[in-house]
Amino acid sequence: MSHLKSSLSGPELQALSAAAQWYARLQSGEASDQDRQDWQAWQAADELHRQAWQRIEAVRQQMDRVPGSLVAPTLHGVQRSRRQVVRSVVLLASAGSLGWLGWRSETSQNLLADYRTAVGERREVRLADGSLLLLNTDTSVNVRFDGAQRVLELLWGEMLVSSALDPLKRPLRVSTRHAQVLALGTRFIVRSQAAGGEVAVLENAVQVSLAQGGPAVHLDAGQRLDFTSQALGAIRRNDATVGAWQQGSIIAIDRPLGELLADLSRYRPGVLRCDQQIARMKISGAFPVDDTDRALAALHSGFGLKIQHYSRYWVNVSGPAAV
Amino acid sequence: MSANDLSLRSAVHDLYHEHHGWLQGWLRQRLGSACDAADLTQDTFVRVLKARNALEIREPRPYLSQVAKGLLIDLFRRRSLEHAYLEVLASAPESQQPSLEEQAIMLQALLDIDRMLDGLGKQVKQVFILSQFEGLTYPRIAERLGICTRTVNNHMAKAMEHCCLMQLQLQLS
Repeated sequence: MSHLKSSLSGPELQALSAAAQWYARLQSGEASDQDRQDWQAWQAADELHRQAWQRIEAVRQQMDRVPGSLVAPTLHGVQRSRRQVVRSVVLLASAGSLGWLGWRSETSQNLLADYRTAVGERREVRLADGSLLLLNTDTSVNVRFDGAQRVLELLWGEMLVSSALDPLKRPLRVSTRHAQVLALGTRFIVRSQAAGGEVAVLENAVQVSLAQGGPAVHLDAGQRLDFTSQALGAIRRNDATVGAWQQGSIIAIDRPLGELLADLSRYRPGVLRCDQQIARMKISGAFPVDDTDRALAALHSGFGLKIQHYSRYWVNVSGPAAV
Repeated sequence: MSANDLSLRSAVHDLYHEHHGWLQGWLRQRLGSACDAADLTQDTFVRVLKARNALEIREPRPYLSQVAKGLLIDLFRRRSLEHAYLEVLASAPESQQPSLEEQAIMLQALLDIDRMLDGLGKQVKQVFILSQFEGLTYPRIAERLGICTRTVNNHMAKAMEHCCLMQLQLQLS
């Protein structure tokens, strides 16, 4: 406790410590009447004891302001998410491919990244070597240039890289937690999220390999592939959906509604989800990402879906009223 | 106001004048949002003012960015808690949804609780949540976590003492 600066005197601190012991005993679910009598006698014995117990009561009152049924899952949830993040980082660090041992928490890392866009924002960044990055929504990037190489650490999110020819001829590499991409003089898009990501090449070519190592796959202009930290997916052709965000839209071609909403929710804060029954419903169309309310309105007018706003941060999409 | 107070104020004023644009740019780059960056810039200088050590700052920019990093991490804590809260709300049936006003009040209360518990070890915190918020008895908690009831009792006392001290500290700051 000594690290907590306290305005309390020594005796006050002692009384508080004793009061906390009483609290622990009474909270056990097995306290006897005798325990309760002893506790009351302890309080009555000294004004300091009474004051200390009042501090405990004040904390209890503060805790009681929210139903326990809500507090417990929220705190477990937040601990889990903060922890998972740390775990993924530890794994990455032990793989050691780039020696990112400085990583502590990927999320606080995200906040402290060199370049970052907010949810719903897109931004251009010109780098020292003349390369141009276009960062999509909710993206964090670190730029690590040294005498031997140019490394862009894509911590989270999505970006279009237009690489410049480097007078020092240093290779340009994008590293994500799952995979890394070596530019072969080029324009390409990399996305990286919790479960995996995607690379799509617009000009020239890249080489993709897993962050953990293994053989590299050559990807030409007009090609793309998915990746997780375990495997690289099959090579597919680019279509109109690739990089549509540069023009401010998501283009869907027979896309399951659940996937489309997951994609759309990258551009707006809060929760956006749909009823399970309609998650596989096929949707086609262009949806604006700069005004996601309009995208949702289009789902309503074009597909008869019901958009329910529970709060500004929470929207549920459900099936057509009558089918 | 003492002479010392005056020189402190003018030192903070000078810091603000010279570095506030730079700090806002630094934060803007990390946060993406200009609004958040402006808010955190103000908060950073408020912290510096409160710390009353402006006269001793030798390297202003590293110092300011250090303070601002702490605030960034606080912001991350707030956002991650808010997210977890929304997830929990989203999984509850519609009939049990609190109003928007209630949601805002509860979120604030959750943030206070999260801050009070901050700094406790993982197991101590877990024990406290299971007892205080899930109403489990000590033997049940002991069984669940594979520890003895005596340890559960000690963790509870430790957690409550910590919360009381944190509450005092948070009220003071």
